[in-house]
Amino acid sequence: MGEYMERVKSALANLEDDDLASLLREALEAGEEAADLLAAMSEAMVEVGERFEAGEYYLADLVLAGEVMKDGVAVLEPHLSAGDKGAKGTVVICTVKGDIHDIGKNLVGTMLSSAGFQVVDLGVDVPADKVVEAVKANSARAVGLSVLLTTMVGSVGEVVDSLKEAGLRDGVKVAVGGACVTDEVVERYGADAMGRDAVEAVRIFSGWME
Amino acid sequence: MSDKHRRVLDALELREPDRVPVMDLMNEFSTCNAILEKKPNPLGKMLRDPRASKLMDRLFALPGSAQLTDREMERFTHLGAAAAVRMDYDAAWLSCFPVLRFRDSRTMTDIFGRLCDVSVDAAGNLANPIYREGLIKSPADWNAWPKRDILRLPEKVNRVFREVQQAYGDRLFIFAFANYGLFENAWQPMGFERFAVAARKEKDFLRRVIRFYADLHCMLVEAAADAGVPGFIHTDDLAYKSGPMLSPRLIDELFGEHYRRLTETARALGVKIVMHSCGNTTSLLEHFVSWGFDAVHPLEPTAGVDLAAAKREVGDRLCLIGNLDITHVLVDATREEVFEAVRQAISDAGKGGGFILAPDHSHPDISVQRLRWMVEAAREYGAYPLKNQDMRG
Ligand code: B1M
Repeated sequence: MGEYMERVKSALANLEDDDLASLLREALEAGEEAADLLAAMSEAMVEVGERFEAGEYYLADLVLAGEVMKDGVAVLEPHLSAGDKGAKGTVVICTVKGDIHDIGKNLVGTMLSSAGFQVVDLGVDVPADKVVEAVKANSARAVGLSVLLTTMVGSVGEVVDSLKEAGLRDGVKVAVGGACVTDEVVERYGADAMGRDAVEAVRIFSGWME
Repeated sequence: MSDKHRRVLDALELREPDRVPVMDLMNEFSTCNAILEKKPNPLGKMLRDPRASKLMDRLFALPGSAQLTDREMERFTHLGAAAAVRMDYDAAWLSCFPVLRFRDSRTMTDIFGRLCDVSVDAAGNLANPIYREGLIKSPADWNAWPKRDILRLPEKVNRVFREVQQAYGDRLFIFAFANYGLFENAWQPMGFERFAVAARKEKDFLRRVIRFYADLHCMLVEAAADAGVPGFIHTDDLAYKSGPMLSPRLIDELFGEHYRRLTETARALGVKIVMHSCGNTTSLLEHFVSWGFDAVHPLEPTAGVDLAAAKREVGDRLCLIGNLDITHVLVDATREEVFEAVRQAISDAGKGGGFILAPDHSHPDISVQRLRWMVEAAREYGAYPLKNQDMRG
């Protein structure tokens, strides 16, 4: 890995560089490929995720890394080809109907984008029919649902049933996550997997898209 | 001093009262109305009705409409107190929250910079607003944000709590809640993503916001004390189900000195001060002690807080409040299950005093019947000297 790649990776992984965007601009001017720089940032995000899982980083650190990553991608964007972005496939994510907790959902979205997914984020309080529409419109192969309120877990079942009614369920995997989700919820409402945190969410979707 | 007052004070001061006190968060119109067998205020229905809501849109555009909302929120403080007395609770968390401003029939802001959706529950009660995003993204936004209503808050809080304390204070130990906590008012008006960046890169800006709210909170404690209210609750969700949202070191660096100033103000005034933080707060318990809080709520069981372990760790220095699950136990559990949850909580934390039983949060689907069972069970298992204790308690 070249000098710039190392610097980019360590700046993001160690959350130490105040201005990753400038470093990326400098690297581009020095002739580095945008796709390689993006790969270095993605590797750094994997490391950030590992440190979060190990308890070294906290939620705010993970979110900060995601924001820095987003700023970095904005710098690289004009230099990237369509194939470099969202190459792993499309995932539709949202917080379910009746629930507005969005910090976890946003983080899952950022981590998925960082890992190379095309993410369609429908926001919060999203009814099942909107999820189905978005799956169709974007030919998505997976859905990620965030739910923190126990009173709203039934919304997971509504999404699963609506996907079935639309004849899409066989081609679309559904993962759930959030404070009130348990294995029992996954089973009761017919979802496919549960992500305990954003890092696990990336692992789940990556497994499905291989 | 009434029996209830003495009971709660004993628990807060880590002595054994005659029995474990019970309290609740009077935070939902629906629960308070259900307890008092009252109909919802017609405002909720009007907001849902397409024709009436058009009228409301016009009304909310008028300059005096804020007073209407403030009056409804003041009524809520009284309603909460009356409902708590009807339930025969020993103490209650009462909200005085004249901070909401309707933009129209669907959206509202609060005076601190949150943008919310208006929410009406299934029974037609005005429910807690649904937070959407923050409106203060930069130092320039903060400087330009109108602060007049914020600065007037202590005076309103003082007036409302004076009335409520006079009307109900002999039958209830009141914990005043009058504003979001320092962490919540630092992050929610800008959004968590923006906050995470500022916490690392714009500490001066953040410190200015935190200092402003710490000053306000100290004034709110003064306002509550001047009204004769014996308790104050500082609500700051510092944690989520996996633990603190920021590193405890950073929390201490940004907020610690201000929490200390707040608790010192309360102590000097003889007001008991409680830290409320949802989520798994296990790794923050020692900090709550070092910041000077008298008690901590809610020790959320569904986030993995082990009440017995918390008791062992800080029970000799901090009163523990809460721990009754609102996911299942207070929503749809059987009488036996509610009794068992209460017995377990008292067994885990009641020994030697220093425990107040309470739900771990509020939401419109909490069942009043289960709250009654909670009170009943606390009477059965909570009399000192305690019986029915697990050996590990
Ligand atoms: C595949 O897809 C995937 C995969 C993994 C996924 C995934 C999707 N989604 C999440 N993950 C996973 O990855 C993420 C990163 O590691 C994780 O995401 P989380 O979302 O779990 O974690 C986030 C990163 C950080 N965590 C959070 O942001 C939630 C923290 C707590 C404290 C919390 C907060 C902050 C808030 N709240 Co609320 N809130 C609580 C929470 C306590 C707790 N125990 O979690 C909880 C969830 N809230 C609760 C309640 C009751 C409420 N809240 C409400 C409001 C709010 C705030 C607005 C104040 C704020 C949310 C702000 C926002 N923009 O999101 C109200 C609900 C409004 C509504 N209609 O939704 C209100 C009803 C309160 C009221 N009376 O008004 C409780 C729910 C209880 C229950 N069992 O139903 C609660 C558990 C607190 C408690 N003490 O009991 C993983 O779960």
